[in-house]
Amino acid sequence: MIDSELSLLSLLQLTSPGLPVGAYSYSEGLESLVANGVVTDGAGLKAWLTQELQGGAARLDAAVMVRAYRSSLQGDLTGLQAWNHWLSAARETEELRHQSWQMGYSLLRLLWQMIPADSGTGKTTELLRHLGNPIAPDALHQDVNFAIVFGLAAAYWQIDEGLALLGYLHSWATNLVGAGVKLIPLGQTVGQQIIQDLQIPIYHARQTILELTDSDLVSCTWGLSLASMTHETQYSRLFRS
Amino acid sequence: MIVAPQPETQPSPSGWHGRLHQEFEYRQGTTSMSHCQTCAPLKVQRPFYPEGEAVCHSVILHTAGGMVGGDRLSLDLRLHPGAQALITTSSAGKIYRSQGSTVQQTTQIQVAAGACLEWFPQETIVFNGAKYDQTLRVELAAGARWLGWEISRFGRSARGEQFLQGNWRSTTEVWQQGIPLWIDRQQLPGGSDLLHSPNGLANCPVVGSFALVGQSITADVVTQLRDCCAAIAWEGTAGVTRLMSGVLCRYRGYSTRAARHGFQALWAILRPLYLGRSACPPRIWI
Repeated sequence: MIDSELSLLSLLQLTSPGLPVGAYSYSEGLESLVANGVVTDGAGLKAWLTQELQGGAARLDAAVMVRAYRSSLQGDLTGLQAWNHWLSAARETEELRHQSWQMGYSLLRLLWQMIPADSGTGKTTELLRHLGNPIAPDALHQDVNFAIVFGLAAAYWQIDEGLALLGYLHSWATNLVGAGVKLIPLGQTVGQQIIQDLQIPIYHARQTILELTDSDLVSCTWGLSLASMTHETQYSRLFRS
Repeated sequence: MIVAPQPETQPSPSGWHGRLHQEFEYRQGTTSMSHCQTCAPLKVQRPFYPEGEAVCHSVILHTAGGMVGGDRLSLDLRLHPGAQALITTSSAGKIYRSQGSTVQQTTQIQVAAGACLEWFPQETIVFNGAKYDQTLRVELAAGARWLGWEISRFGRSARGEQFLQGNWRSTTEVWQQGIPLWIDRQQLPGGSDLLHSPNGLANCPVVGSFALVGQSITADVVTQLRDCCAAIAWEGTAGVTRLMSGVLCRYRGYSTRAARHGFQALWAILRPLYLGRSACPPRIWI
């Protein structure tokens, strides 16, 4: 096998629904949108996810993942930590922040435990070993966002930047389509069709996100904020806060 | 590495560049406006003290009535240790249609230890075709607090105007000792799908945000705020969530007045907690 094929396998592992970080237990506001009749069918779900990719929080999140990837490649601990703080401060709601932290911490611990003791001394390896170590003085500990650790992991496995971003967006979309299929509910075939239809929006989002400057990190998130705030107090739910 | 948005460095080809530099000091139980320098079209009224001398109320005036493309406003506000100030504006802000340049408003706020700034400007009306870019950056010292709200109407909706052209961008960042506590970077391009989609404005012409930053909020208080929120006649929808150090309320609806009344009701719950005082709305709001 050549290196790029190994990287592809690592990307598949990182974006698999089987990755034990608990992504499946979150709906990112969809549960309250469905309960309140805002999203009622497959078309509504597709429209919601497409808009989030074009101008919502998912776009910002992915743009920070790319920055974490770039910082990681350079072994830039300060940069990685600054973007982690930035993303925590930019989260729309407490539940979205806690989701990101829970998933981020789970992935960081997992990676740290998976690094072989003799895995060399590359910049990214050092960074990962340092940040994931529960006794390191400036370890990221609990409050580390998923996008940050995903970027670090993609750099560690030498996954191509653009492919890592595609994979990140695709696994985000697949997870929320899964949530929508359970909530609305929809048939499995409809769900798969939506994932297929989201290919072009995901592709366009990748192009835009790779070119965003720091001052272009803007979004329009009234819908997501209000849906997630409602979900934080929703009485009966399948998905966690 | 993370760069705060910088105001344009070259002067705008036309238009006003209004400036305001205000400082507040606290001595022997009194907050006084220790420094005030303005440049037209910005002016500041004489400070007033409707709730005793500890809290200084100040009203900013924009004497030109509204802003056109190329206009800039730069506000620089500093609160020295222990100072308590409430700042509002004399009327709604208006951003007119622009043929070319963007209207820029840059507000820098520094709040020293133990000081508290309540930043409650009246609403901004963003006309169809307006181009508006506003940035507000707050630096909090340890133990400093900032409260603020922003209420925006897109298009003069009473006459059926929609925000079909132009661009609106509003950035709010609150930092404490080099760490961001709250970053809110919103954008609405005129005529975009976001005007109608549930992700964006869902056909509502008014949005608002109200935040308290620099004070930890218990779950009980969040519940109290939510109960209050549920009882308010918003003419729209609103929600409350906790920030890392503070609390945030978002509004999306039809009425700037309902948004402000709602925010005032939440303010009335919060103020005894962070200031040990009941809310004292400036008369100008009534």
